[in-house]
Amino acid sequence: MRALGATATLTLLAGCSGRHNWLAAAGEEAQSVETLFWVVLAGAAVIWSLVIGAATYAHRAEAKPHREREARRFIIWGGVVLPVLVVCGLLVWGLLILRHITSDDGALTVRVDGERWWWRVIYDTPEGPVTTANEIRLPLGERTLFKLTADDVIHSFWVPALGGKMDMIPGRETTLALTPRKLGNWGGLCAEFCGGAHALMRFDAVVMEPGAFVRWLEQEARPAQVAEGDRGFAVFEEEGCGACHAIRGTEAQGPVGPDLTHLASRDKLGAGIYAMTPDNMARWITDTHEMKPDIDMPAYPGLQGERLDALVSFLMSLE
Amino acid sequence: MAPRNKTVPPGDAPRVIDQGSVWILVAAPSIWAAHFLLSYWVAAIWCAKLGRGTTLMEPRWIIAGLGALCIAAIIGLAVLAIRRYGGVFVIIEEITESSERARDRFVGHVALLLCVLSAVAILFTVIPGMVLGEC
Repeated sequence: MRALGATATLTLLAGCSGRHNWLAAAGEEAQSVETLFWVVLAGAAVIWSLVIGAATYAHRAEAKPHREREARRFIIWGGVVLPVLVVCGLLVWGLLILRHITSDDGALTVRVDGERWWWRVIYDTPEGPVTTANEIRLPLGERTLFKLTADDVIHSFWVPALGGKMDMIPGRETTLALTPRKLGNWGGLCAEFCGGAHALMRFDAVVMEPGAFVRWLEQEARPAQVAEGDRGFAVFEEEGCGACHAIRGTEAQGPVGPDLTHLASRDKLGAGIYAMTPDNMARWITDTHEMKPDIDMPAYPGLQGERLDALVSFLMSLE
Repeated sequence: MAPRNKTVPPGDAPRVIDQGSVWILVAAPSIWAAHFLLSYWVAAIWCAKLGRGTTLMEPRWIIAGLGALCIAAIIGLAVLAIRRYGGVFVIIEEITESSERARDRFVGHVALLLCVLSAVAILFTVIPGMVLGEC
């Protein structure tokens, strides 16, 4: 029993570390929520101690009559006025935080569309929109405004270490701002149950130095470099992949699935769940539903040998 | 529900909220519910039908004004609960007697607590509207 308790405690504590830890805020918005949490926790501890202390005192003390007026005053002030003031104060504090993190301003605007079960990411730049997927890069210290929506069901956008979360609702646009304060690769996830592969709907939020971010965005805006007569791209076209996926700079302009223009520059495959390696890429194509159940992309088990190798090589060259 | 122990002057209709009637119990929560519904309608019509963009800066004062009116009405009910029912916030001695007077005191006590609860609930509707001010 003791071992079971220790295991359960360690398992719970494991959730308090790492890149999903909202109790070690890496962003301004997460910090404001964390501060509110610690204040509420401390207040709750004080109130709990007072109540238990009073109960212990009442249990041990010798019973004696109290004046009605004093008892009435104690109940009204301690049981009605104080709780109302505390809860109203916490409500206003929480609402001010919410107002700040949803206010419609930011040096950079990123639109994120929740799909089943991946993230369409569009950077609004003066030169036009830059589309990518399943990975969000942010400049350190700058407030980025996210405009969130969903394609078919409700999702929720959450990067615990940076801030959030915020619902993504079909037909509506919600806003959320993130101001990263620490460099790093932070985990993002869908926080609203949205169907079969909900738990596999993740993304990386990579915080970069502002200069590096600008260079990355310029690179991301460029079309893909596809060599004339590329064997892998020929397979890509023959199998009809371009009907769903776009590769800017080619004839593949499918709007259904993730944009693959700079696919290999991302760290993860399948919306933040597998390392971007040739082996995983090959499995993703042939055993798609083994790797991520219920997704719309069909598996291509018949694609083997030289054709599969060529396609994987081509996709891994899209940096 | 007609008052039972009250002498009604000839020609006067019996009062709805008076000794012997329990309507005072539903009055305060009904005012909260009406305020909630009206606030919802004001915000929904303003945001969705009038095409005023996404800000509630102007109608939030309507919501706040309605809230003030409703809280004033609830304060009036609390006064009635004290004067007509003999209600108190804190009952020191248990009400165990089976009599009209004891029942009235109990109804007055419950009505007073419901008045506090309803007023707080109205505040909790007004505060988000005032602080956020967005559709």
